[in-house]
Amino acid sequence: MSFLELEGVHTYYGESHILEGVDLHVDEGEVVALLGRNGVGKTTTMRSIMQLTPPADGSIRFQGEELVGKDTYEVADAGIGWIPEERRMFGRLSVEENLRASVPDTSAMGESLEFAYDTFPILRERNDQRAGDLSGGQQQMLAIARGLIGQNDILLVDEPSEGLAPQIVADVGEALLEASDSVSILLVEQKLGLALDLADRYYVMDHGKIIDQGDTAGVTAEDEQLRRYLSA
Amino acid sequence: MIDALTPLALAETVDLLTSPSDITGVLIEGLAKGSLYLMIAVGLTLIFGLMDVINFAHGAFTMYGAYIAGVAVLALGVGSMGFIGSLGTFLIIMIVVFVLLAVLGVIFEVTLIRKLYEYPTIFMILLTFGITITMEELMRMIVEFRDINNGQWDIGWDSPRQATLPSELGGTIEIGFLNFTGLQLMQILMGVGVVVGIWAFLNKTRYGLFVRAGVEDEEMAKALGIDINRTFTAVFAVGSGLAGMAGVMLMWDPLWDVNVPLALAVLLPAFVIVIVGGLGSFKGTVVASFLVGLIDALGTWAFQTGVITFTDIDQLMIFAILVVMLILRPRGLFGVKGQGDHG
Repeated sequence: MSFLELEGVHTYYGESHILEGVDLHVDEGEVVALLGRNGVGKTTTMRSIMQLTPPADGSIRFQGEELVGKDTYEVADAGIGWIPEERRMFGRLSVEENLRASVPDTSAMGESLEFAYDTFPILRERNDQRAGDLSGGQQQMLAIARGLIGQNDILLVDEPSEGLAPQIVADVGEALLEASDSVSILLVEQKLGLALDLADRYYVMDHGKIIDQGDTAGVTAEDEQLRRYLSA
Repeated sequence: MIDALTPLALAETVDLLTSPSDITGVLIEGLAKGSLYLMIAVGLTLIFGLMDVINFAHGAFTMYGAYIAGVAVLALGVGSMGFIGSLGTFLIIMIVVFVLLAVLGVIFEVTLIRKLYEYPTIFMILLTFGITITMEELMRMIVEFRDINNGQWDIGWDSPRQATLPSELGGTIEIGFLNFTGLQLMQILMGVGVVVGIWAFLNKTRYGLFVRAGVEDEEMAKALGIDINRTFTAVFAVGSGLAGMAGVMLMWDPLWDVNVPLALAVLLPAFVIVIVGGLGSFKGTVVASFLVGLIDALGTWAFQTGVITFTDIDQLMIFAILVVMLILRPRGLFGVKGQGDHG
């Protein structure tokens, strides 16, 4: 039994059929990259797992438990963290308040905050600033920290490098690599090099379906076939 | 009146404008009015800010609060139990009304409002409008059946204010050139209490944190494990309870009457304040309440001190503020782009 398992997932936005039967799985401790061009349904896959855009058909199981039909907060409580595109900070809340809102168990608050601050010291320095005033890279750190202290067993990370300067991308990659020691990760990432560095396995998605998959071992960002899948 | 515009009247006006006791009198009246407006409007703001629900039933909750409080003060004989006893009983009634209307709010939210979150706003407006009409007509039936407002009810309803307002609150207090009634002082203290209480709820409690997170990004809040539906219910309860509390306060205020049309009479200034302050902004509502209160008091005073007598000037002033604000700053004083947006 896989840790997170999607089977025949069909999801619609209104009339448009976005996911046309997605099958994939993530095992415990694994980092899995979900690759594909823009608009093929990678973000929708994550939204479907979170039940933000509930699937019309198919099954999504986490640790054996069916998620389809649950509320989003219940999916989060089950131990799935979502680090969405563009980070989605609560911009008018302080850094610390963003973190506090993410910790489900208040008795673990102190130690969770400590953990977040130890992992990303910049957040400690800026803990009483409004999250909206942080730079893009710092916001990404905060988003990852929110996921880490949410007592999650798996993180769904959507385009973490988007809009960040190269040096910051390296930092974010480092942070995710560190995070992968304690949680499983399903990663959507346009930068193929970064995705392959982080991931143990990959799936390639096109038109709402998984069209290829494999181990990342031995595969480089120059791989002909992968590049063909990802070129527009 | 032409006479009023003679040089003598002008001199009188100048005299009034420079009299410290008049100026402070207007200021105090403005703060007291602002406190009442705040209590009326703040629940509306909280509910709109988090849930995007424009609650037309808000005024009906205030009207129910006023009636329940009116019946309670008469039945318990508030006013004849000494100042401390009367005031204490009044405050207990206020808490009970808060709880009763909060429970009513929960019932409405869970059984009716919740069904329509996914639908366009117009559905919610129609629903809350329907609730307010139902609540008003129900109260009208009770009032007419028991003939409450004609003083023939068996608990001796006259006007709850006249019968029960302790003389200490009705009378004037003078400190130096400060001149105010006990009721005004109580209203201002109440207003400050509400501001502090809600500020503490929003900034110092976990639920308040969830509310502020949900106001900004409901979807993200859910994805972090926050049960936003339960937060909605809690906020609707608090908002409804506050509306009821405002009714309790209005019951003793000489400028308001306990009657069925009170539901609409409070709703209009409440909407103006919420719009002037910026939709969904608590800070904006606090500032706008006192702004509207002060301008209202100033206008009422300026036009009712012999220069020109003009009844209902307060209504005119309030809507003039709305018009000016909509032209100059349509988003309100503290409105934020996307405030109350979903997703």
